[in-house]
Amino acid sequence: MGRSGSGKTTLLHLISALEAPTSGSLFFEGEEISALNEDRLALWRRQHIGLVFQAFHLIPTLSAVENVAFPLYPMKLPPEERRERARARLEQLGLGHRLEHRPSRLSGGEQQRVAIARALINRPTLILADEPTGNLDKKNGEEILALFNKLNEEEGVAMIVVTHDSEVAAVAKQSFTMVDGMLEEGSK
Amino acid sequence: MNLHYLGAELFHRPRRSLAAILSMMLGVALLLSLQAYSNGYRLAARAPLAEIGADIAAQRQGKVPQAFEGILFPHSTAPIHSDEIDAMRRIPGVEDVGESVFFWDFEKSGFVVVLGLDPSSKTGPARLKSAVLQGRFLETSDHDVAVADATFARSNDLSPGSKVSIAGSPFEVVGLVDTSRIGQVANANMYIMVDDARALAHAAKNVLAVHDFRPTDANIVFIKANQAKVESVAKAVGSVLGSQALVSSSQTFSDVIGQAYGLVDRFSWLVGLAGLLIAVVGLVRSISSALRERRRDIGLMRAVGWSRGNVSTQLTSEAVSLAAAGSLAGLVLAVLVSRALSLMRVSIPVPWELSPTPHFLPGGATPMAVSISLVARIDLLPAALAVGLSVLCGLVVGLWISRRATHIRPAEVLRSE
Repeated sequence: MGRSGSGKTTLLHLISALEAPTSGSLFFEGEEISALNEDRLALWRRQHIGLVFQAFHLIPTLSAVENVAFPLYPMKLPPEERRERARARLEQLGLGHRLEHRPSRLSGGEQQRVAIARALINRPTLILADEPTGNLDKKNGEEILALFNKLNEEEGVAMIVVTHDSEVAAVAKQSFTMVDGMLEEGSK
Repeated sequence: MNLHYLGAELFHRPRRSLAAILSMMLGVALLLSLQAYSNGYRLAARAPLAEIGADIAAQRQGKVPQAFEGILFPHSTAPIHSDEIDAMRRIPGVEDVGESVFFWDFEKSGFVVVLGLDPSSKTGPARLKSAVLQGRFLETSDHDVAVADATFARSNDLSPGSKVSIAGSPFEVVGLVDTSRIGQVANANMYIMVDDARALAHAAKNVLAVHDFRPTDANIVFIKANQAKVESVAKAVGSVLGSQALVSSSQTFSDVIGQAYGLVDRFSWLVGLAGLLIAVVGLVRSISSALRERRRDIGLMRAVGWSRGNVSTQLTSEAVSLAAAGSLAGLVLAVLVSRALSLMRVSIPVPWELSPTPHFLPGGATPMAVSISLVARIDLLPAALAVGLSVLCGLVVGLWISRRATHIRPAEVLRSE
């Protein structure tokens, strides 16, 4: 966690290789990620990383189930399989009744759950979430955090969540504080 | 490329899609409609001669008759000798030649325009055989028989079986024909066998006084030519006939139709392609504006694992689809426009040298014109070219735009928005 402008999002972008480090290297499971080219990085993200954003970043022209399947589009999979996997994830997150709704017809909490389902669709090793509750009310925020905990416990997905909200940080098993771009060890 | 995503983008962003489709549609429709209009006039210019199965009418200017008595050749139909006709037959591109002898006969009883023709010829006024209203048409074994124009027959009380006199020789009317079926070119009051006409002309003192007309000559030659070589054949025919040649082809009629057609014919491709270029600019604007709207979506594609190639293929496919949809809509619009243009009638003036009536007789000086429907049709080749060019433009625009798109940095757009 950290205050606005402390470098939390930059750190998340570095970990997900959306930004290249100006110095130093990024390793993932022993592989030097920062040495890969753009397309290899995209493939690496598809295989290992799930991203959740504060602003959800859903494609407005696609339905919920299509948004969840979006990372699978470049893969050579039968459309039925893509849809089935996306449907299963949405039902797991309690959105089985909203499959065909486009983002504009979903509440903020529902949109964020669609975004989480999208992050999970490739069974990633790591989920990176940038202020995932920042655009949600308290009740929806709590539901999302509970969902993260459940996914972590039941599916063993590691999660790195950045937030400026100490209540969100309190839910984490381990927390760090960022100050002026530097990571400090937190209270847990 | 994901078809489902492509369809969703085109369908759920209707304003952008419609703007791009409309732009391409208007460009393609303009290009094809101008082509159809120009082609329609080109066909119309061919019609007066095409109606008698010819592409070229060859005549020669000669001397003005000294006296208006008996058989005379109008000064636009001086003799064409048989060796010159043979030379025309040998011109590359000539497919058939029809010989006619055209004359005026001034008798005390009245004036008659006579055309001698070979009924077995497929080129020239022999095509009147399909316009018989009563009786029969001339046959190759006929001699001293005539076929009368129905209007002339009505005003002179003629019918099959009637006897008429041409240059003092008796002829039996064997049939009536509707001359208007072959338009205004090479029509006459009476049609007789070409050999009978030759014999009459060769014995006519007022013809021989000013012309060297031999028994095997003609004075109007109709030529059917290979469509790709009509103008070169016309030029060669002119060379055969010398400085006094009067050679009429579709170009002759095009020249008299007027400047408006000339401009359309000359610049139709240029204006059409300019229209298409403006349409492509519209497509570029529409897709560029979409790119600005979708920077975040493109960033997301890269963030969730789409390669640059995946993004590029998807965006290019959208541009190509819009261009293809626009060009097909343009094709449909052009077909509708060409149908509307086909309702127009075009009046094509007949050059004086092809007018059968002496200018000094009542009505003879009135300019003649052939009125025909404009056949404005969309040809397959320009249609395929327009659609192909539009799709190619869509492809180029798509590749260019997607190249810009793949340089979007996902971290920037996903953070700032």
